[in-house]
Amino acid sequence: MTGRQSKWWRWQSWHVLWCAAVAVMFACVFAAAGYAQQTKRGRNVPITPPAAIVPPAIKAGEAVGPPRVAPEPDEVVQADVSTRNVAVTSSFTGTEIVVFGAVDNSRQPSPEAGVYDVVVVIEGVPSRVTVRKKGRVGGIWLNTDSQVFESVPSYYAIASTRPLDELAPEAVLIGYEIGFDHVRMTPAANRPRLPPADLKAFRESVIRLKQKDGLYVAESHGVAFIGRSLFRASISLPATVSVGPFETRVYLFRGQRLISQYNVRINLEREGLERFLHDSAFTYPFFYGLATVLLALASGLVASALFSKAAH
Amino acid sequence: MNLYLPIAEMSVNVLMFLGMGAAVGFLSGLFGVGGGFLMTPLLIFSGVPSAVAVGTEAAQIVATSVSGAIAQWRRKNVDVKLGVVLLTGGVLGSIVGVQLVRILRRLGQFDLFVSATYVTFLGIIGSLMLIESLNTWRKVAAGTAATGRKSGTHTWIHKLPLQMRFKRSKLSMSAIPPFLIGAFVGLLAAIMGVGGGFIMVPALIYLLRVPTNVVAGTSLFQIVFVTAATTLLHATFNRTVDVVLAGLLMVGGVVGAQFGASWGTRLRGEQFRFLLAALVLLVCLRMAYGLIAMPGELYSLTSVQG
Repeated sequence: MTGRQSKWWRWQSWHVLWCAAVAVMFACVFAAAGYAQQTKRGRNVPITPPAAIVPPAIKAGEAVGPPRVAPEPDEVVQADVSTRNVAVTSSFTGTEIVVFGAVDNSRQPSPEAGVYDVVVVIEGVPSRVTVRKKGRVGGIWLNTDSQVFESVPSYYAIASTRPLDELAPEAVLIGYEIGFDHVRMTPAANRPRLPPADLKAFRESVIRLKQKDGLYVAESHGVAFIGRSLFRASISLPATVSVGPFETRVYLFRGQRLISQYNVRINLEREGLERFLHDSAFTYPFFYGLATVLLALASGLVASALFSKAAH
Repeated sequence: MNLYLPIAEMSVNVLMFLGMGAAVGFLSGLFGVGGGFLMTPLLIFSGVPSAVAVGTEAAQIVATSVSGAIAQWRRKNVDVKLGVVLLTGGVLGSIVGVQLVRILRRLGQFDLFVSATYVTFLGIIGSLMLIESLNTWRKVAAGTAATGRKSGTHTWIHKLPLQMRFKRSKLSMSAIPPFLIGAFVGLLAAIMGVGGGFIMVPALIYLLRVPTNVVAGTSLFQIVFVTAATTLLHATFNRTVDVVLAGLLMVGGVVGAQFGASWGTRLRGEQFRFLLAALVLLVCLRMAYGLIAMPGELYSLTSVQG
């Protein structure tokens, strides 16, 4: 072993830097290639605008009268929500939203009269959902079947004065997508078609799983009249709710007929550190990753410095 | 106190995750293992999506292994040249692994694949450790000293082309075996969310006959780089690195590891290797149970916010 050689391989700090540079370069090249690929593909999947949920004649924040012919002044429903902007921060643990409103020209003598029925529907941003079903293959449970549903509301809350089947005919509920049975869920076409019974089971599983997570909520007596015309409903949003614009639709029924509708929009937004982290992870994934690695290295170094100090 | 994890998209109890980090950190300090193979299953059991658990755990391993690597460096127990060969293979393996994760996630089979990989490797490693610790235990009880490992002997593995001299290890051998070992461990690191020391260390000792004194240091040295690259790749390709979760685990892990290390010096090796083996097998069985038992819910949802 010559002196020159041993000098060459005497480990010094610049050796570490050299090795680090090599490894990071490696990672950079491939990560950047991946990033470029991602950028080319485009990050946003086009969504059906939530406005499509609302029948054409009705716009958000606008009261809609009954369909013509009515001898007395028409009843019109108006409503609002307790919080129009909900901030989803790091400490977000869910929230309660109170929907309140009034029936103009109310003809009911008392809150208990039950002349009117009110249905409140809050619908979250639609997303594409892949449902997978496990099956037993050789003694092991694995995902065997799957079905993609386009534009499934990420959140769906429904509250009404009475059970839905008592207050309106089926056709109306279907037409306005009121109730779990009528939540919009379009099966994607690009798969081998499932038999209707299986499709129904998949559809029901979405509702069931979302209900379990508190993302689909139904309260058949959740709306209460507190005056001749005043009503309120309180609806809970769990911590796991997806952010975005939430459509709140308030329907007024009398004698099984839909006579008025009012729409309000609620905005759920990520805020603060929470928003910053989420955005950077999806917009600049490479730099987010780099920052995470640097954080890890720094915390490891700090720990080692503290430990060696404590040991001396 | 609850904290919302931005990538895992769930609200978790801070104390619970700090505690998990500390418990696994304690064990890894006690046994001198990385702890990834305990932490990733724990995260999965507590409801973190498998892919996020794997990606985030890579980041935590960077933090825990870097302090160990530095300590070994100070004691000159790192063969940098060997380490660089290992980590070159490791980074390539990790690239393949991350792509594999991406494909499996799209097919909806990633959870199954992770569980199956864990069952396989934990089963093998756990059984081997159990047998080894029982043998040593018996020998110690009988009063016969354990025989030392032969070092410097060459097998056909060393005679492949691309010969290199690894001075620190006092070895001269082909660069192909360490490169392949590195690649394999890198692949596992990316898929399982582990550092891979539990494969690397035996491979270096038994296959390459690297002297024991540089094995741990060299392994840790390459783990830092490979897991750093894995974190970066998971963040870029799969967006499954949760920095908040990683931070929680790091804090807990670092504190736990210090306590574990100071406890570890007071206790007898083979007994604790026995306990560790039992723990590894327990995790393995729990994972196997998840694969075999009839699930309470057959359906699962994955949403793509669009």
